[in-house]
Amino acid sequence: MTTADPVQTGARPVYESAVTQIGSQVEAFLEHGILIFFGAGAPEELHDMSVLHQVTSAEDGPRPGDTITLGDTSLEILAVGSVVRDNLLNLGHLDLKADGRTEAKLPGDVCVAVGPIPRLTPGDAFTITRSQET
Amino acid sequence: MPDYKSVTVTKGRGGWGGPLTITPTDERPLIYSVTGGGIHPVAQRIADLTGGEAFDGFSSSAKFEKIAVAVIDCGGTARVGVYPMKKVLTVDVHATSPSGPLAMFITEELFVSGVKPEDVQEA
Repeated sequence: MTTADPVQTGARPVYESAVTQIGSQVEAFLEHGILIFFGAGAPEELHDMSVLHQVTSAEDGPRPGDTITLGDTSLEILAVGSVVRDNLLNLGHLDLKADGRTEAKLPGDVCVAVGPIPRLTPGDAFTITRSQET
Repeated sequence: MPDYKSVTVTKGRGGWGGPLTITPTDERPLIYSVTGGGIHPVAQRIADLTGGEAFDGFSSSAKFEKIAVAVIDCGGTARVGVYPMKKVLTVDVHATSPSGPLAMFITEELFVSGVKPEDVQEA
């Protein structure tokens, strides 16, 4: 068996999407260390607070240890709440929190280290990648 | 013209808020399901008992002013606040408590959580 990719990085994407729109309230949430995603089909009342995106491949939700890539920035996922997978795969919805927690405070949270979350623009990648199973 | 009835929605195990009394009207007929996988069974039961119109907010768009109640499957940050902030009665099927940046808008008069179909009863 041969691999299609000659440069085997040891990591594979489990969720791939592209940013389509940035809501007017996204910056205010970023000041609280929060970034909210919804799929492009989300109802209009959710657009202001959200980064909307168009998914191209949705195999799984995130797990701790996975990497979330936002544009050119990659962040390690520290914790994942209990309803994250369903919300991401069904609705393209994810709440990213730069709170440094290793156990999610809320069932919808995906936690990364405390620090700046990148400002996204339409066309940027929103990807979750997983290292080879350990 | 439908003859609408009222239901009472009480919090489920581990839930918060309510009870809410929901009565659709001609102006606000929609039982608005903002959940994954189509119309949630909680929204369907509210619609069945009240005579309201079950509506999938992710498959088509509705006029916001026509919503009688929003049924959500929110994990605690975004949707839990958006609908109460806009003074829309909100039912979360997950057992969330006021949290997130919009927590100040989430009140017992507007919000109930941890709700399963059996927590919806005729008023």
